[in-house]
Amino acid sequence: MKFTPISQHSASRKGRLLLALTSVLLCGTALAQERGGTLTVGLSYDIDTLNVYSTGYLGDVQATVVEGLLAPDRNANYVPVLATTVPTIKNGGIKVSADGKQMSITYKLRRNVKWSDGTPFTSADVKFTWEAIKNPKFIAESKDGSEDVSSIDTPDPYTAVVNYKRVAPDYASTLFTFGIFPKHALEGKDLNTDVYNEKPLGTGPFKVKEFRRGQYVIMERNPLYWRKDSKGVQLPYLDQIVFKIIPDANTLVTQLKSGEIQMTPSVPYAQVTQLDALPNMNIVKNNVLSWQHLDFNFKGPEALRDLNVRQAFAYAINKSAISKALGGFPKPIDTVVVPVFSASNRNVVKYPYNPTKAKALLDAAGYKPGPDGIRVKNGQRMSYKILVQAGRANDEIAQQVIISSLKAVGIELQPDNKTGVAFREARYKGGYDVFYSGWITSADPVYSVFFKTGGVNNGQGFSNPKIDALLNRAENTLDPAVQKSALMDFQAELMKVLPTIPITTNLSVIAVTNKLGNFVPNPTNMTNFVNTSSWYLKK
Amino acid sequence: MTELSSPAPVPVRVVRTESPWRRFLRTFVKHKLALVGLGVLVLMGLAALLAPQLTPYTFDGQDLDIIGTPQPPSRIHLMGTDELGRDAFTRVLYGARISLSVGISSALIATLLGTLIGALAGYYRGWIDTLLMRFTDVVLSIPLLPLVILVSGMIRPSVTLLICIIGALGWMGTARLVRGQFLSLREREYVEASRALGGSHGRIMFRHILPNAIGPVVVSTTLAVGSAIMLESALSFLGLGVQPPTPTWGNLLNSASQWLQGAPWLAVFPGLMILFTVLAVNFLGDGLRDALDPRN
Amino acid sequence: MTLNYLLKRMLGTIPLLLGVSLVLFGVLHLAPGTPMDVYADNPSVSQEALDQMKVALGLDQPLPVQYTKWVTAFFTGEWGYSIRTARPVVTEITERLWPTIILGGSSFFLALLVAVPLGVLSAVRRYSATDYGITFMSFLGISMPVFWLALMLQLLFAVQWRILPSAGMQTIGENSLVDLLRHLALPALILAFANVAGWSRYMRSSMVEVLSQDYVRTAKAKGLPHNKVVYRHALRNALIPVITVVALDFAGILSGAVITETIFAWPGIGRLFIESMNGRDYPVLLALMMLGSFALVVTNVLADLAYAAADPRIRYD
Repeated sequence: MKFTPISQHSASRKGRLLLALTSVLLCGTALAQERGGTLTVGLSYDIDTLNVYSTGYLGDVQATVVEGLLAPDRNANYVPVLATTVPTIKNGGIKVSADGKQMSITYKLRRNVKWSDGTPFTSADVKFTWEAIKNPKFIAESKDGSEDVSSIDTPDPYTAVVNYKRVAPDYASTLFTFGIFPKHALEGKDLNTDVYNEKPLGTGPFKVKEFRRGQYVIMERNPLYWRKDSKGVQLPYLDQIVFKIIPDANTLVTQLKSGEIQMTPSVPYAQVTQLDALPNMNIVKNNVLSWQHLDFNFKGPEALRDLNVRQAFAYAINKSAISKALGGFPKPIDTVVVPVFSASNRNVVKYPYNPTKAKALLDAAGYKPGPDGIRVKNGQRMSYKILVQAGRANDEIAQQVIISSLKAVGIELQPDNKTGVAFREARYKGGYDVFYSGWITSADPVYSVFFKTGGVNNGQGFSNPKIDALLNRAENTLDPAVQKSALMDFQAELMKVLPTIPITTNLSVIAVTNKLGNFVPNPTNMTNFVNTSSWYLKK
Repeated sequence: MTELSSPAPVPVRVVRTESPWRRFLRTFVKHKLALVGLGVLVLMGLAALLAPQLTPYTFDGQDLDIIGTPQPPSRIHLMGTDELGRDAFTRVLYGARISLSVGISSALIATLLGTLIGALAGYYRGWIDTLLMRFTDVVLSIPLLPLVILVSGMIRPSVTLLICIIGALGWMGTARLVRGQFLSLREREYVEASRALGGSHGRIMFRHILPNAIGPVVVSTTLAVGSAIMLESALSFLGLGVQPPTPTWGNLLNSASQWLQGAPWLAVFPGLMILFTVLAVNFLGDGLRDALDPRN
Repeated sequence: MTLNYLLKRMLGTIPLLLGVSLVLFGVLHLAPGTPMDVYADNPSVSQEALDQMKVALGLDQPLPVQYTKWVTAFFTGEWGYSIRTARPVVTEITERLWPTIILGGSSFFLALLVAVPLGVLSAVRRYSATDYGITFMSFLGISMPVFWLALMLQLLFAVQWRILPSAGMQTIGENSLVDLLRHLALPALILAFANVAGWSRYMRSSMVEVLSQDYVRTAKAKGLPHNKVVYRHALRNALIPVITVVALDFAGILSGAVITETIFAWPGIGRLFIESMNGRDYPVLLALMMLGSFALVVTNVLADLAYAAADPRIRYD
């Protein structure tokens, strides 16, 4: 449990979308794919519910059962799943109203898709999903996107027209990508307590055979699955996928070594080298589109509202030391839009590691070293609480480098780490002076949740009209050029005001047996298990 | 210690052949393991106090050249370095400060609380006794480890708070012990005499009875030091102990467990420290028990 | 020992458990934060839903009312619903209770089986190399951090020799006893370890004391064979105080399983406890703590009964 990278428990799905680009290409070999076999996967968290909308974790298991209309592929481009095409303005799938304030999206649904109990999948299920999620009685972890929709029309069983209250460029990263509910099984049921939470009914390649809480989930082939391979063979190839719950990170690695599990989607950095040496394991590194950051609480100590202080922090932090301390896996960054995005601005104000400059800035601003070496101004010692999520080994290590970096320029940081709900509460309410953690963006990033006045994830209480305006411009248009330029300006401005210091962008490490064919590390919040139908085990 | 031979109006001192203190010393030094235990603890304590003199490094000083790759023990780094390039020996030394003070202070708090509650209950008897002992029973009926985990999970503790939590939840055994002693000692003649002389309750309790009841209390305090150190390391394992970079043996061991194979020395030394200390405490407790037992 | 006495003792546990419930309720509710904080900043959960939940959980009432309601419900078997999984608390706990009882029970007997002979041996061969050896080993046991030992054994047995599984409770798809025992071996061993150490110490000192007593010396003087004296007369009497300690530790084993269960991915109540703590799942936490206290109180009574059964001199009326 100690090293378990627990989900971020973020309030917003948008803030949870995780995307990565594979740096190691696992090319599908020309060998014939064989049907059969069981893949055993180790998960480091204890599954709370198998309802994808209620769980506090990313739905690794759920992704093998539940499908959405669209899904992100390995490069985070949306591809159709239960829909036949990805709707765009060009193909007429997206229509914007004359006043440019609303839009509607038409999904053409795949025919001959059946729920694993044999009932056909239709547009009524799509409409039901939205209604069920929107229902205030349903206590969901995420209801993102459900409020943007004003109504859904179902002119025929294979067409769903979703009418939006606003122009929502992020429509694909929410509701209908996440997963569709079976109307025939859930109508009139209480979604909070229904048996669906134990045994979800889906259209995906697998169905739940047995869920033993705290132990494992066995997924077995869904014989009614709609996908076939190029030779017409019914998918999936695998008979079973077994997810074992192993809360202790050391035990997880031990199980990989002993062959008791064949795959785990996230290996702690410190353990990667030991696994590298295993002959039958592939170590897959994903450049995750997430970034680690240090936030200042604007509702906190007065000194943190002084730009000079924030700049001094930025110059004082040794980002490359943090990267090195974590095995070189995370890479230093200069802006919040991570480098893989074309909208990442390379020309923002940069703050290269320079403790001398940091000290000079603080001296000039009147923060003078006190008798214990810690700076003081107006009787206020520069001593602050730094929050990270307790139990996240990587974050705790970075935290210690940051503490040490700042001590060198005369600022004291005291660790105030929390776990679970206490952490969540502090994060969203600003229960810290400075806060180190990671945010993860979707393929179509929404930054207003973090930096706009009153944004859901803006626990630091940052507010800047210029930033607000730029974000509004970026997030209410379907024109990529307008969006890009607004995002560029937003970053330039953000790095001048510096409410947050971007530290590194991350890499996630997947360990997987080299016997697994066709494995593509799908790196989004839809997890690596989003398309398991073509995976097969070599004999 | 004063002993009274008769309820005469003027107390008469009895000539003693050997003071209890001398007798205690005589038996104690015969207990070799206890001496070794005491020696180890004194050494640990000294090392902790003199940490700045014993090492050229600071406990949070990071060597950026080797950060990320723990180095094995060498001449310059006696116990190697950790994943942040910090000298492991230095961290173990400074860790001793926290671990030992958590152990000792929380044991003392538990003893103080337990003695006070036990003394009041045993001395006053009646409804005070009933009330205090029922309360003791209640707290004793709650499983300790989960309760400590629960409390430290809800209010992530600082070192001081951690000491208070462990202390506040560990007094019950002592309270029962002291109460038992008080119940029997309060009927002794010298207590009666002092009461007849108009000694205040407080004076009788703490000057006359307590010194005679101290033996078992000392033993249980000693042992409590060991269990408090173990408890801290268990909390650290769950991520609820003292937060790095402040080192404790518990959190050193915990962060080392990631490197159990890449850099085993990081786990070995703090592990040995906990082991030696708890071992020493137990030896010492054993010796004290023997030496304080009036039958010896 | 009479039925009357047993009844009296059982009735006596009720005020005790009431006291426990008051303390636990106080601890949980005086701490900052409430279960509703899970949703406080989640825009997906509307105020309307929050209010509904508050009423459903009774959190809108004053504390004394909440307490009374909870206590009466609890003692009548209405344990409410888990906040984390929305399932009945009773289901959550009963599912996880069995694995913990298996693990705790087997390690209890394992520890007993090893500790008693060791203690006797140590006492009989007092001050010999064997005695010092056993003493040293048991002190080692008391002082060893469990997770360290656990990781070492996992590496040895599961990775190096590959003869035992490193974690979990069963091989998936297998339900045989042998399979369960193989999975049980390491965690039970680890959990037993610390108790072997403590108990063999008690056994030793108790045995030493008995052996020095007059009736044992008399028996020896009468020319009874040494072994008979030790194992017929002394052992029985020496076991009496040990029984109390051992019985009291049983509840401790259950609660000590928190760490062992985490390391060995054992699906017991220890892990449920940690998960519930992280999620501030108060109904589950309270129920678990109450259950732990109940076990402690019951073993207390059992210890007294066992004590009386073992020693004919003790009579309870």
